[in-house]
Amino acid sequence: MSRVIALCFLLLAAVIGFLHLDSRPVWAPFIDTETIVTEIEAESPLITKVKGSNKSDPIASKPQFNWLPDTGASSVHAASLIALKDGGIRAFWFAGSREGAPDVVINTSALDKSGKWSAPIVVMDRVTAEKGLGRYIAKLGNPVPSRLADGRLQLFFVTVSLGGWAGSSISSVISEDEGLSWGKPQRLISSPLLNLSTLVKSPALQFTDGRLGLPAYHEWIGRFGEFLRIEGAQVIDKRRMSSGRSAIQPVVFVNSAQDASAYFRQTRSAGLAKHIPVSQTQNAGQSWQAAGDLEIANPNSAVAGLTLSNGARLLALNNIETGRHRLVLMMSDPKSGQWHVVDVLENDEALPDDQRKEYSYPYLLSANGNDAHLVYTWDRKKIRHVYLSAPWLENAFNQLPRQSVSESSAAGQEVQQ
Amino acid sequence: MNSLMPIFPLVEMSITCALVIIWILQKASPQDFPLALKVTLLVVLGNLFFWPLGFSLELPLVAYVRGMVGDLSIVTTLLLWSTVLLSTKPAPTSFKAFIVIVAIIFYPLALGFGMTDPYAWGYASLPFLIAVLLIALICGLGNWSRGVWIIAIAIIAWAAHWHESANLWDYLLDPLLAIWAVAALIAMIYQKRRDKARSGYLFRAG
Repeated sequence: MSRVIALCFLLLAAVIGFLHLDSRPVWAPFIDTETIVTEIEAESPLITKVKGSNKSDPIASKPQFNWLPDTGASSVHAASLIALKDGGIRAFWFAGSREGAPDVVINTSALDKSGKWSAPIVVMDRVTAEKGLGRYIAKLGNPVPSRLADGRLQLFFVTVSLGGWAGSSISSVISEDEGLSWGKPQRLISSPLLNLSTLVKSPALQFTDGRLGLPAYHEWIGRFGEFLRIEGAQVIDKRRMSSGRSAIQPVVFVNSAQDASAYFRQTRSAGLAKHIPVSQTQNAGQSWQAAGDLEIANPNSAVAGLTLSNGARLLALNNIETGRHRLVLMMSDPKSGQWHVVDVLENDEALPDDQRKEYSYPYLLSANGNDAHLVYTWDRKKIRHVYLSAPWLENAFNQLPRQSVSESSAAGQEVQQ
Repeated sequence: MNSLMPIFPLVEMSITCALVIIWILQKASPQDFPLALKVTLLVVLGNLFFWPLGFSLELPLVAYVRGMVGDLSIVTTLLLWSTVLLSTKPAPTSFKAFIVIVAIIFYPLALGFGMTDPYAWGYASLPFLIAVLLIALICGLGNWSRGVWIIAIAIIAWAAHWHESANLWDYLLDPLLAIWAVAALIAMIYQKRRDKARSGYLFRAG
């Protein structure tokens, strides 16, 4: 008799399970990048300065360098950006006595239209995170902002309860006032082994149904990319972008509603090619296949990517095989697909090894599709912000070598230097 | 308790922590604990885990445990609760062996070995749900009704999003369940060998 009752209960569970499955959303196509940028109809901060000079003169509108506000912390890292509704830019980064220290907090500051960064405020500290998440948290890391379909800001960040960064999981908080205040953190579950080892570094993509696609990665037993489908603060699906121990921190370029390419930071062992691994999808991220390397040198350091409204693509990266002492901006014409260095932002190659600084963790954003903001870690002591105006980028795009398809296929490494 | 703290997962984990200690005490004791004693210990130990104790601890004890092991699967939780509180018969060996086989295949694939990720099936895969139901049905046909109840509750908990995860795997399997199954199988094999040695087969009747 008890078995019959148990089997009847199982039948009930089956019905509930099937109904739950039936309520799950179907996988939607990507929103093209051009669609996203037109939603924010605002002028970028700093653009007025460019207008004040001669807009058509790319020399006058050359990259403008400044710094994110100093919080007094001796170590800062992992800056990221998001465009605000009022046309400003909000930056996030983590700061503390050292990377991984218990006193590390996630800071934010906004760039207003006059080109000034606001006083930094703390978005999240370790104690707030552990009280909100109901669990012990040892340290915080990598903040990555995104915008929900309803207009609210969402900040993904990394928490670690046990061990090093390999023990990470992702949590998120939501702001209803453009980042001035934040709600209760919630944890994303993305791994079956104690939810260990999922991190985030790169911006999320948007699907046409309003949900987000978050490029994430593991770096414990395996080092590989994963594509998380996010609804609110919940992972509702995920797909593997690479496998093995050689590729983390994917940056995704959307080519069309179904087609996208992911560029990775390589983590290969010695003796293997120090180039950028690439994966591709042709079904909006439902499945990914490894493609050949993008033959640009990568010293196991993060890459940032951005697509402008004219189709030009930007990469900010260390295009050297060892060290992080040289940071460049590269641009690609979508027709040729070839990458060319358009500006060397930092370069300590002439200095002895012990005097070289680290320029790492770049993050790119465009507020209007024509200009670009770049932030990166400067010697772990500061976060540097670079504004690339629309005329300067346009000029750089126009100066890209135009090659025929047959020539471009043979172009190889030399065009990247 | 801070108002920000999530209550239900902490209560669930506090009960589990208390029952683990009771189970260990029971194993170490030569006598079976009466139910009243178990319930008393559960209340005392559960509260000890749940409420902040002060000292230098920022959080209640259970939050530290949860920080380390996360939310346990419903299968692990209910197996433990029913074993300690109801003193039911142990799970069948075939079930433990099945858990071990699944874990050996599942974890390497889910942690990055190859491009196939069985963990992704747990979000919205109809074939995976049918497979889980079939396993529960086999438990029922094998006259292990407790297994049927536990798997059915796990499916309902997944549909109700009881835990943080939206993945059915997280309601069915966790590393502690896999470790328990491996340890139980090893203990059983060891016990059989010891019984065989004790039976004195060298001197048995020919």
